[in-house]
Amino acid sequence: MITIDQLVKRRGSRTVLDNVGFTARPGRVTAFLGPNGAGKSSTLRILLGLDRADDGHALFDGRPYRTLPDPLRTVGSMLEGSGAHRSRTARNHLAWVARSNGIPRRRVAEVLAEVGLAADARVRVAKYSLGMGQRLGIAAALLGEPQILVLDEPVNGLDPEGIRWIRRLLRDHADAGGTVLLSSHLMTEVADVADDLVVIANGRIVTTGTVTEVTSGYADLEEAFFALTGVTR
Amino acid sequence: MNALKAELYKASTLPAVWAGFALTVVGCIALEVLLASQGDVTGTDSLPMGTVGAAVIGVVAFSSEYTANSADAGGGRQITTTLTTTPSKTRVLLTKALTIVILIVLSAVVAMPVAVGIARPDVPADELLTSCLGATLYWVLSGLLGFAITVVLRNGVIPLILLILNSSLVSVSLLLTKLTSLAYWLPDLAGRRLFGSGVRTVDSGLDAVPGGLVMAGWAVLLCLLAGFVFARRDA
Repeated sequence: MITIDQLVKRRGSRTVLDNVGFTARPGRVTAFLGPNGAGKSSTLRILLGLDRADDGHALFDGRPYRTLPDPLRTVGSMLEGSGAHRSRTARNHLAWVARSNGIPRRRVAEVLAEVGLAADARVRVAKYSLGMGQRLGIAAALLGEPQILVLDEPVNGLDPEGIRWIRRLLRDHADAGGTVLLSSHLMTEVADVADDLVVIANGRIVTTGTVTEVTSGYADLEEAFFALTGVTR
Repeated sequence: MNALKAELYKASTLPAVWAGFALTVVGCIALEVLLASQGDVTGTDSLPMGTVGAAVIGVVAFSSEYTANSADAGGGRQITTTLTTTPSKTRVLLTKALTIVILIVLSAVVAMPVAVGIARPDVPADELLTSCLGATLYWVLSGLLGFAITVVLRNGVIPLILLILNSSLVSVSLLLTKLTSLAYWLPDLAGRRLFGSGVRTVDSGLDAVPGGLVMAGWAVLLCLLAGFVFARRDA
């Protein structure tokens, strides 16, 4: 269970996050939606202990990320694509990530096969396409067989086959009792897979609820999204 | 321990680290061969050359964390992964610094016996050993200085230019001594006599032990500053 409560983040005089709060529950896929610059990544960066909040909490089963021992075994995450140095191969990247959390070496080959990068495991990350980088980022998230997945814009750059694959992966993870939180600025891409929606605009949560709850009164999710975020087409 | 294992593996799979390692080993050996062909050599006279490679190792081990992937590939940086695997920033810096020390000591173990072997100087073994240990300390401290500056700047270009220029082509510190004797207290000049009597150096300035302490003081101070800055800012 992910609990985000009254999160405030200021950058200079600008308030990036204004009392952001929501939960992501086990067994469900929670989609965190909003236009670019709405505060999705800022929220996830604080959740993963990368940035500091000015106020509020972001917790995994009641604990901040920084206090988790071998965090990758509890939370798998992806931010900013692959998160790998360009001159390293996918295999070497995952090998150091595995070592850092005492994850057995065999998991490297397993996750590479799972995300479809087995054939490109010895290629330098600099030669990867956006979609391949995303797959490598997801591979790193799966490495520690975590119960919780936090993915920032995972469908970004994936081809239609890749999008279908990631939807399946996230659905299966939640169906197996896992917690999935993913962010996206593409509502239609996540509508089919999400159980719960959290919509953010200008650093404020504008609505939360199941897909049916959020879209009621609107023609479809797209209509709801534009109406709620105040984006004019 | 896992974090250290990860850092060692990370460094050993980074081509730029090997470039620094090769620069030290090949640089020292090649210079020693060149000097030996010109006349009397001491075996340790080529060792100041190794400072360049040591500085490169110190800088790239950390600047690589901030190298961005191309925008086409998401523009991500490795620091995000590093801090999600090891959320304690203190632990990240300590294991990184320890990795740099291990690699530089390793480069000294490879380069120094060969350089001394080429020269076969007529110098007592204990004096030779002291010079080699002093030179290793100078390299390690230079690497840590480069590391600390890189952490603060989040970029390796400026410390690389600064340290490579200063330790190979033109010593800015040495030029500054013409203006003020305070320049002898700058890290690179303060530690100069750590290389021992086999390396000719400036006539004035600090002796080996106080000089080494001053240089170590600089390294500690800058590493503390790096820790302070790194802990306080967002990744």
